[in-house]
Amino acid sequence: MSDRALQDRVIRALADAPYRASTEWRRRGLADPERVERYARFLARHFYYERIVHFFKYSRALARVTGRRPEAVLNQPGFDALLPTVVLGSRASAQAVAALVVDHVAGSETRIPCLADLLRYEEAMMVVEAGPRVWREDPEQADEKRGRVRGQAEKVEGTVLLELAYDLPAVLPSLLQPQTSVPECPPRRTQLLVARSQHGRVAVARGTAAIAAVLELADGKRTLAELAEGAGIEVAEVQETLQGLVDLGAVRFSTGS
Amino acid sequence: MRNAELMVGAFYNPHLGAELARAEGIDHLAMADPPAAGDPWWPKIHERYTLLLHDYLGQLSEPLDERSIQRARALAKLYRSPWVAEHFQCLHTEDGRYTLNYVFPPLYTEEFLERFVRNANALKARLDQPLVMENIPRFFDVKASQMPEPVWLRRFFEATETGFLLDLPHVWLEAHYRGLEPRAWLAEFPLEHVVELHVAGVEQDDDLKGPWIAPAEPSDEMLEFTAHAAALCPQAKAVTFDAFSPSLSADVLFRSVERIRRAL
Repeated sequence: MSDRALQDRVIRALADAPYRASTEWRRRGLADPERVERYARFLARHFYYERIVHFFKYSRALARVTGRRPEAVLNQPGFDALLPTVVLGSRASAQAVAALVVDHVAGSETRIPCLADLLRYEEAMMVVEAGPRVWREDPEQADEKRGRVRGQAEKVEGTVLLELAYDLPAVLPSLLQPQTSVPECPPRRTQLLVARSQHGRVAVARGTAAIAAVLELADGKRTLAELAEGAGIEVAEVQETLQGLVDLGAVRFSTGS
Repeated sequence: MRNAELMVGAFYNPHLGAELARAEGIDHLAMADPPAAGDPWWPKIHERYTLLLHDYLGQLSEPLDERSIQRARALAKLYRSPWVAEHFQCLHTEDGRYTLNYVFPPLYTEEFLERFVRNANALKARLDQPLVMENIPRFFDVKASQMPEPVWLRRFFEATETGFLLDLPHVWLEAHYRGLEPRAWLAEFPLEHVVELHVAGVEQDDDLKGPWIAPAEPSDEMLEFTAHAAALCPQAKAVTFDAFSPSLSADVLFRSVERIRRAL
C-alpha cells in the first residue's frame, strides 16, 4: 500500500466513527486508539460547529430574541450520543445534527410565525451541502464537462425543492441586522430550490412551476422533447430552465455509455 | 529580542470589520476567506491594510488543478499580497469521500516529501508572489512516518526554496504532547527559512483532554516563546495573531496584537 493510501485510511478513521471502531482499522495498529478517538471527537465538534454557524446563521442572529443559539447543541447530550455513528460529511450525519439544531431552536417560547419555515430552510441548506465532492478537477474531465451539451438531464442527488408558507427571501437580509424586534415575514406560498455544485457550493433560487416540473421529470432517461411534453412547456423553455439548474448544481447531464 | 521592523497583525474577522476598519496599531491582516459580497467594511480594509493571502488553496499532496491555481492567483492579485500561504496538510481522501475540514498533516515519509516538493514547485511557478508553507501539528503519531517532522520540513524547504510560515502554538502543542521542552523542539526546525510567524492562545479542550489552539489571547509563556523564536528567524517579516472565529471578540484581538508587539 502506498503512503498516500495509508494516509487515506487515517483520514477515514478520523472522519468515520463506525470504521474507527472496526476490526479492519484497529488491527492495523497505526496509532494510539485513545488519542485517535479524542482527536476524532474534537474534529466532529469542529466540523459541525462550522456548518451550524454558517447554515443556521439566521437562527443564530435571532438568538437575541429566542435565547437559543443553534451551536449550543454541540455541548448537549444529544450530540454526544451521535458521535459513535457520525461520518463527517455524510448526508445522514448532517440530517441527524441538523435535526438536533431544529429541535433546540424550535423549543424557544418566543413566538416567531416564520420560524418553522426558517428552520426547514436552514436544515435543507446544511443537508444539501453534505456528500462527496470534487476537490480537484481532472483536466480531461473538465474538458469533457465543458463540451457536454448532449445527453439526458438528471436531478442531482440531494437537490431539494422546499415549499414554504412564508416568503423568507424577503426578510432574510434584515434578520442579520442588529435590531431587537423580528421583521415581519410576508405570509406567501414560496418555493425555494436548494442545490449544491460538485465543488460543494450551496445555492438557493426561487422555484417556478417550470423548475418544479422539470426537476420531477429529470431522471437521466427522458429527452428534451419528452421533458417538454411531460412538463407541458416549450422545448426552448425547458432548455433555458435546464441551463439555470445546471448552473446551480441541481441538474447534470448523463453521458450514457 | 528583535524587532522594530517586524510587521504585527491579525486575521481579518468580518464580524469585527467595523472595529478593524478604524483600528490603529495593526500593520497587516491575513485573509482566511475571500471578502463576502455584502461586506460593507471590505473597501476600507482593502484600502488601508497590507493583506496576506491565507486561504485554503488546496492540499499539495496532489497537484492543484487549474481552477484552484487561477483562484489563488486572483486572490493574491486582489489582496496585493506580498506572499501566498498554504499548509502542510492532507485532510481529504484522494477520492473526495472523506474530509476532516481541519488542517491535518501528511505522513512524514519520502513519498509524501516527493509529492509536496513536486506540487509546491509547480504551484510556485504559477504564482507571481513567493509561496510560504505553514507547519501543522499532529495530536498523535502514526507509525508509518519515516522521519521527524523538522527533518522532513528542512528537506522540503531546501528542495523548493519556499518560505516557512512558522506557527508557534503548533510547535508548542507538539512539544507539550511529546513531553518535550518547547524551545528545544523549536531549535530542530529550519528557522532560517521563516518569513512569517503565527501566534495564538491555547485553551483546555474537553475532547482532547489537553490544550489546543483557541481564539484566545496568547499567554505570557507563549509571548516569551514568540520573542525567543523571532530572535532566531533572521528573515522573518511579520508576526500574525492567528485567530479566526465568529466567537473572537474585538477586545481579545486588539489586546493580543498589542501584547505581541510589546513582547517582540
